[in-house]
Amino acid sequence: MGVWLTSALFRSYLRRFILLWIVGKVANAATAAVVGLPPLAFRPGTELVVCALELAVLVAFVRRANEDILLGNLRLRLPVALAPLVLVHVALSLATSLLA
Amino acid sequence: MISGDSITLRLGGRAILQSAYVDAVPGSITALVGRSGAGKTTLFEVLVGRRRPDGGQVRWNGERVGRPALPALARRGLFYHPDRPWLAVHLSLADHMQLLGTAHDWRGAVDALGATAWLGRRIGTLSGGELRLAELALGFALRPTVALLDEPFRGLEPRHRDEVATVVRRFAAGGAAVLYADHDVHAVRGTADRLFSIEQGATRLVPDFRERPLHEWYHAWPT
Repeated sequence: MGVWLTSALFRSYLRRFILLWIVGKVANAATAAVVGLPPLAFRPGTELVVCALELAVLVAFVRRANEDILLGNLRLRLPVALAPLVLVHVALSLATSLLA
Repeated sequence: MISGDSITLRLGGRAILQSAYVDAVPGSITALVGRSGAGKTTLFEVLVGRRRPDGGQVRWNGERVGRPALPALARRGLFYHPDRPWLAVHLSLADHMQLLGTAHDWRGAVDALGATAWLGRRIGTLSGGELRLAELALGFALRPTVALLDEPFRGLEPRHRDEVATVVRRFAAGGAAVLYADHDVHAVRGTADRLFSIEQGATRLVPDFRERPLHEWYHAWPT
């Protein structure tokens, strides 16, 4: 797992995931503002749904590029390979809520 | 050894695979030969779990694999080369090799396929032939015991084709099982040790294929 987390491929997924997180956060904040909730607050249920959507989009990108075959040949299951990104989502969202 | 036994698959009401059987034997190169649309790629996808068949089973060393999946099969020693590009286009071959870990000696595989020259170039900038060699270099660097290669020679110029064939032969001579799909029936004579033909989703082992005329490779020939 250490090799995977320090690899250029994981870093490229991390960059894409952060972009997806930004899109998700903007959409989430806008929706919260409309219904009168604090836009950048950390709401676990909502974060779970948004994180799942972000991962689904990333998985679609990975599969479209046949990189799931690359990961498979490297003996990595896609859910395991992308699992660390859940922590990235939580960390970024918590940090944003604390800064807000 | 990997095998697919009695594999059947229907898509959109059409029979794609009809009780197909294929296997890969250690120390030999097995070719699966058929026309475009005969079911070669679909059969490979069933073997590695990318498609679920309606019937039949995949076996590894004779043991039934309940629900085949590429990562699990790769842990047992399988390398799968699909018929379409599968490396990350924004990374270099060296970046891919680093995924194998620092302890892994991958230079030999890269040298054998003549891929050293473009080790640092982004995959997306490689020609079709260079890309194929890069994919195979990564695959052979994994030191698999079974290699499923779907059209590994497609689009390669003769020089690259010879390089790939040499590496595949060396790989099989080391005890690995190679199963590859091809539709270049003439080239298969010089590369394969065993041959399955596939037509309309049904397979057949063709004994003495080097001596038989091409039309006898397919199902019309009498038994």
